[in-house]
Amino acid sequence: MRVTKGAQIVAGTALLALAVAACGGGGGTSTGTSGSGGDTPVRMELGEPQNLLVPSNTTESEGAEALAAVFEPLVNYDENKQVVMGAADSIETKDNKVWTIKLKPGYTWHNGEPVVAQNYVDAWNYAANQENAQGAGYFFGRVEGYADLNPGEGKPVTTKEMKGLKAVDDTTLEVTLSAPFSQFKTMLGYTAFYPLPKAAFGSDGKVTNEYGEKPIGQGLFKLDKPYKKGTDQTIDLTVYDKFPGKKPTGWTKLQFKLYNSSETAYNDLQADNVDIHDSLPASAIASAKTALGDRYQDQPDAGIGYIGFPLQYNDEYKDVKVREAISMAIDRKTIAETVFSGTRAPADDFINPAIDGYRQGACTACAYDPGKAKEQYAAAKGPAKLELGYNADGGHKEWIEAVANNLRANLGVEVTVKPFEKFANILDDLDAKKYKGMFRMGWAIDYPSAEDYLTPIFSTGAIKTGSNYAGYSNKTFDETVAKGDQAASPEESLKQYQAADDILIKEMPYIPVYFYRNNSGYSTKVKNVKINLLNQVEWADVEKA
Amino acid sequence: MGRYIIRRLIQAVPVLLGATLFIFAIVFALPGDPIAALAGEKRQDPNIVAIIRDQYHLNDPLLLQYWYYISGIIFRGDFGKTFAGVPVTQLLAGKLQVTLNLALVALVLEAVIGVVLGLWAALRRGRATDTAILASTLLLISIPTLVSGFVLQLWLGVWLKQVTGTEIFPIAGTTQGIKSYLLPGFVLAGVSIAYLTRLTRTSLVETLRSDYIRTATAKGLSRRRVIGRHGLRNALIPLVTYLGADLGNLMGGAVITETIFNLPGIGNQLYQGVYLREQPIVVGIVTILVLVYIVANLVVDLMYAVLDPRIRYE
Amino acid sequence: MSDTPQAGPAGPDTQTLTPETAPVAPPSRGRRRKKEGKPASLWTDAWHDLRRRPMFIFSLVLIAILLIMSFWPSLFTSINPLDARTCDLSTARQGPSAGHLFGRDNLGCDVYARTIYGAGNSILIGVSTTIITAVVGGLLGLIAGTRGGLTDTVSSRVTEVFFAIPQILGALLITATFRDKGLGIWIVVIALSVLAWPMTFRIMRAAVITARSQDFVIAARALGASQSRIMFGHLLPNAIAPVIVVSTINLGGFIAAEAALSFLGVGVQSPDISWGLMIADARSRFLEAPLPLVFPAVFLSITVLAFIMMGDAVRDALDPKLR
Repeated sequence: MRVTKGAQIVAGTALLALAVAACGGGGGTSTGTSGSGGDTPVRMELGEPQNLLVPSNTTESEGAEALAAVFEPLVNYDENKQVVMGAADSIETKDNKVWTIKLKPGYTWHNGEPVVAQNYVDAWNYAANQENAQGAGYFFGRVEGYADLNPGEGKPVTTKEMKGLKAVDDTTLEVTLSAPFSQFKTMLGYTAFYPLPKAAFGSDGKVTNEYGEKPIGQGLFKLDKPYKKGTDQTIDLTVYDKFPGKKPTGWTKLQFKLYNSSETAYNDLQADNVDIHDSLPASAIASAKTALGDRYQDQPDAGIGYIGFPLQYNDEYKDVKVREAISMAIDRKTIAETVFSGTRAPADDFINPAIDGYRQGACTACAYDPGKAKEQYAAAKGPAKLELGYNADGGHKEWIEAVANNLRANLGVEVTVKPFEKFANILDDLDAKKYKGMFRMGWAIDYPSAEDYLTPIFSTGAIKTGSNYAGYSNKTFDETVAKGDQAASPEESLKQYQAADDILIKEMPYIPVYFYRNNSGYSTKVKNVKINLLNQVEWADVEKA
Repeated sequence: MGRYIIRRLIQAVPVLLGATLFIFAIVFALPGDPIAALAGEKRQDPNIVAIIRDQYHLNDPLLLQYWYYISGIIFRGDFGKTFAGVPVTQLLAGKLQVTLNLALVALVLEAVIGVVLGLWAALRRGRATDTAILASTLLLISIPTLVSGFVLQLWLGVWLKQVTGTEIFPIAGTTQGIKSYLLPGFVLAGVSIAYLTRLTRTSLVETLRSDYIRTATAKGLSRRRVIGRHGLRNALIPLVTYLGADLGNLMGGAVITETIFNLPGIGNQLYQGVYLREQPIVVGIVTILVLVYIVANLVVDLMYAVLDPRIRYE
Repeated sequence: MSDTPQAGPAGPDTQTLTPETAPVAPPSRGRRRKKEGKPASLWTDAWHDLRRRPMFIFSLVLIAILLIMSFWPSLFTSINPLDARTCDLSTARQGPSAGHLFGRDNLGCDVYARTIYGAGNSILIGVSTTIITAVVGGLLGLIAGTRGGLTDTVSSRVTEVFFAIPQILGALLITATFRDKGLGIWIVVIALSVLAWPMTFRIMRAAVITARSQDFVIAARALGASQSRIMFGHLLPNAIAPVIVVSTINLGGFIAAEAALSFLGVGVQSPDISWGLMIADARSRFLEAPLPLVFPAVFLSITVLAFIMMGDAVRDALDPKLR
């Protein structure tokens, strides 16, 4: 799972509603590494990674950000939201099923060994094997042979390899999928697809704890010393000399400072105690705009917030007119501006503006129209009592209350707001068909493709195993997405995905409420800070000011 | 003396076991699956959930789980691992330091301010100063940490910084060494300061009324000498008792202060542990606090003997 | 107890009330104002004393106002904060204005009205917890103190376990565990009671043990009075004063503890209103708009002050030695 910084709470990382609120932080102890030649590090704010730094077990933004500095992914994403080659030289397919990945020469591990195709095979097989219980194992679900490594709990895994994974030679990797999937290439930039060196594995074939504390990568930076989670307040890195790609000019040291509150980090940013902060909290936005000037950046972030319905077993919401009316009664703009201070934008499509395929204003029922909402709601005989559930741990209370107030005032209905402790509790109650009300839900992408807003959340297959918590099922939708998966060209794929998006807009299984924004700021000591599609800093471009 | 200590420590064992079992059982009963919740809002593969649950013995009955835990501590000194695979001892070492710093700063502030105010009030007994000090202690007791924390953070942290241009009291975090602990330390100590002031006053007033003080005064000793040598020393006993026992209270009661000032201490950690259902963390912290409580009480009782020669332990 | 005034295991209230020093006030030991040689009872004495204390009168008036506020909040404000239509998101965090004396909160709701409506839960929780701890702890203390022996040993060990658990942390755990059980605000009462009863237990037990060896009890026993008659007829009336003292003082502490739990997100839940909850909600924008946090905080402090002042006065009256 990938979580946007703005939604880092969602990940169930150690951050709580509390920690999000005002002030504070286990701020990094300023280890003044101003040693030789005044090479002071570029310092970046980071939340504490949820797990040890093992790519296949890292599904949240903080660990991913740290690992992204240590590893070079197969592909990167450019400013036009398109895939460009990273550690891969080329990625080709004829049928969207068999993919041939050629590795760029020249990459070596931080311990000096050359990177070979087998390193990818080993890492991916390890990730997919249920015995290793890796959080990002599901990324390999489309690879042929995944099922063999996941026979189910209690059943022994008889093989260690996926059939569909082959190192043809040292620089060629061949991946066979169990079904055609045109978006496979876009997936490869993610943390889960990083390779692992031989040194990562212990004698028992498992990734060692030592590796998790000091991962050896093939990327721009290497760790200076092991990161002791829970104790260390910084992660210190130095540029790896033999890195074949672009290196930053004028500086070689990078330091992640771990904060448990983004407010504290913002205070430190103003005091020049930290250089880059890429998850400014809502309470800091007004101040950041004036205090930082053009050192404040606001750009789209791929996350979406919805309100969902238990369509599967509550007929009260069956009528699309009711769902549309509820959607039109929500004043997204005021919520985005007042509750979120611009860290969210009103949603008007099921595809996020950060991703190729977004169409502005596509969702007409997402526009605020209290008059029409009331009329339509009455005509469709919507329920007189509504219930709106949310998880109390993620800082959602305010906007949920605001939505509830909108519905009460604009539809004239009674609305009960029901806090669940965590999202998992909502999920349990939905699975047990116990909870009949509406619920909030957030989505952060796993890979930057329009398809990632469709299949995992709305396809029939995702009811059981994915995130289709509404239980929405529409055959035409499934088929349209499948056509996109098999399409010969990216353009054709996108066309099909947009057609599927149109179906969602027409049927409104969920109500899109807001898009996340990425709000970042940087100190006077650095310039040219660019944040990419994955909410990660493009380190090679950063310059010292 | 040695036998007394051993007996006290043996008596502490059932307390420690009882308290940890109680906490363990409550965490056990916490609703929701901690492993499934680790994945946030995406559905964790049930397969993986089951496997991890097994690794952490989460499918076993309560008492068996408790046995795994407690036997790990007793036989291997192992407090268990978090779901992220980090040993609890490693995780807590740093957090414990923060809370200990905070509690110690609070204790020092409490001792200094409390004794001085109490002394002052006692010497001015019945006069306006006395009344004013007593009234202000009442006020101090009445203001919850929740309130004093925010108000002081705003006044002394934010406004003072705006007025003076320098950060005299850091608003939050632990980045500035002892300076970072002053404001939260005072907030944490607030109620205790009030209690200690009253205790000092009462204790001194009673001592000053006693016969030997009257004798000393009658002998013509200076007032300073009477109070300093005879009065204070005897009045000290309840104060030391109180301070000793208060260390545990300050550490266990720091969660709100740590939250307001965002200090990464054990209170904060315990709160997160509850949220993440991290049994080893929660029970580990409570175990530490119970130990602190037991040891502090023991030390206090031993201090009695040192301060008051009449008390002897078998 | 450091975060709340609630006297913890080693709080000075218990400190001075440890078995050695626990006040036991036999009813017939007239201590002042003897009228024509007839000894006044402890209670009459105390009442005389209290009536003359301005602090007591003042706290009583405050508490009366707070009680009225809890039962009839609409007397104090025309806005019903439970009605969503009184909120207007576009006016969020606006400062005080006519009709909105304390300004608006993060959702554009009236801070004054919410503050008034918040009194009810605080007082309900404080009073209920006090009653439960006094009754449960007092009764068990009475039994343990009277019977002694194994009952006493076991129950004393059990209370030690509870004393060793930090109160706020323990209450945090209990509320977090049972809050989905549909108990509403009562889970807060239960959590606080579970951790606080041992204090009343100890005080009652100590007082009973002292009273037990007094002549009139021994006499009663010699005359063949039943166990329960001795317990309720002789021991209880003689041992109850310190329990009442500590209970009144603790009441303020429970109110503060409720606010702390609600602030931590495990106490009172929305849409119920509580000052702790309001403080928690206002916190994220505290530096931008401090008023929505400050007003409930002030009310909370005044309420705690009122109850603690009353407790203080009651203690002085019932047990002047402790002052």
